[in-house]
Amino acid sequence: MSTNLIILAVIVIALILMYNSLVSKKNQVENIFASVDTQLKKRYDLIPNLVATVSKYMEHEKSLFTEVTKLRSEANKPNISDEHKIALDAKVSSALGSIMVAVENYPELKANENVMHLQGSLNEVEEQISAARRAYNQAVTDYNNAIEMFPTNFMANAMNYTKKDVFEITQNERQNVNVKELFNS
Amino acid sequence: MKNLSELTDFYYKVLFVALKQLEKDRKQLQSRIIVVGVLFTLFCLILYSFVFSKMGSSTDIMIFFAFGYFSLGTIIYKMLIKDYTKEFKEKIMHPLIKELDSNLSYESEQYLSQTYFRDSKIFSSPIDRYSGNDLVYGKIDDVHIEFSDIHAEKNHKNSKGKDNWSTVFKGLFIVADFHKHFKGSTVVLPDSAQSTFGDLIGGWLQSKNFSREELVKMDHPEFEKEFVVYATDQIEARYILSHSLMQKLLHFKTRSKHPLHISFIGQSINLAIEYNKDLFEPSVFRSLLDYKIAMQYVQTLHLCIGIIEELKLNQKLWSKQ
Repeated sequence: MSTNLIILAVIVIALILMYNSLVSKKNQVENIFASVDTQLKKRYDLIPNLVATVSKYMEHEKSLFTEVTKLRSEANKPNISDEHKIALDAKVSSALGSIMVAVENYPELKANENVMHLQGSLNEVEEQISAARRAYNQAVTDYNNAIEMFPTNFMANAMNYTKKDVFEITQNERQNVNVKELFNS
Repeated sequence: MKNLSELTDFYYKVLFVALKQLEKDRKQLQSRIIVVGVLFTLFCLILYSFVFSKMGSSTDIMIFFAFGYFSLGTIIYKMLIKDYTKEFKEKIMHPLIKELDSNLSYESEQYLSQTYFRDSKIFSSPIDRYSGNDLVYGKIDDVHIEFSDIHAEKNHKNSKGKDNWSTVFKGLFIVADFHKHFKGSTVVLPDSAQSTFGDLIGGWLQSKNFSREELVKMDHPEFEKEFVVYATDQIEARYILSHSLMQKLLHFKTRSKHPLHISFIGQSINLAIEYNKDLFEPSVFRSLLDYKIAMQYVQTLHLCIGIIEELKLNQKLWSKQ
């Protein structure tokens, strides 16, 4: 009788521990995503200023600006899913990257103090976003591992937890932004 | 900053006259130490046999004599080499540091304040005795850097209530301005648990280290193998430890060839390199002109000052310029 009770107690404790660890992993993912979101917003807030400053000089790149403005308004819509935010972030990163490359072709823009300031702020936000993305990816990896690994996978199934997506880290991001080179070039 | 070969050239060419003179002193000192050592040992042996004949043999007396012999011997040795050490630091170390960068100052008898050491949060155990020497400080490329030899010890009382000192850290401690803004603390330590117990158990042990902040798993396999990271903020730790900085720290660790502890706190980066010996001391039993000896001084200095360029601490972020 008492052995059965002990076995039952051990099973119950194990179930509680598994449940709690899954919940804490899910919350960690959500927490860090909130930080990613804040950083992404910071970058979106820089876009109108950037567009206003550089678009009048850059006649040939009009389409880039329309795209970036469209992406921004899409990202600012309420109730968009996390997956959608992740996809939008990738698009914005690449569009902003193209604008920055294009700026290099306009000497008067490169020397413009306002543009230099924007570039500096953007670089800093990019670094923050990159750190937040990496933290998010680690949290998601821990969460996804728990969902797929034995024995927590049964519990996760019962709780209806599903795998989450990670941010794609571009090769560019693996190298630090070199502020000095950027301004000297 | 001068490179390694320029510095070696300087050591052998410009400092040659001073080195020659010191080498003469060293040879004299060496024979004096041998004579004094032999006499001292003979004296102790005679004294011991005298006590032995009066009081008979006992382990307590033997331990007492051995202890007395070593501690008194060390004091005599230190007294003998005192002038020579002073001369060496004035005539060799000081010009060498000035040659490396003229903005640097050198104080042979001072050391880094204990506040830096404590605030770095690298070592969690309390420090009861703190000493050091060879303080180098200055501003290079607008980056403040300071380092010195440090010996930090902890006191235990043994069963008889006697003091027992154990070393917490002995080696070089470097403090420099960091080029990014951050609020919390991030500590990077050599990964002993994971390399001893493997990934699974070691990783679990690391996450259960209650004297430390939250464990941060880094997305750089090589770095993760060498180091373990604890931080107050998961995102901030990754903001500080970008992929390129992790790569540079790994490279620095390989160059220094000794266990490396790092922390990012306040506005600075702290590095503790565990040499387990007092650096920048003159060699007594080997020639100062010996290439290996010379390289020890030159390389260590170059390594410390080099962190500014190597870790790119002078490339400040926009908002810090």
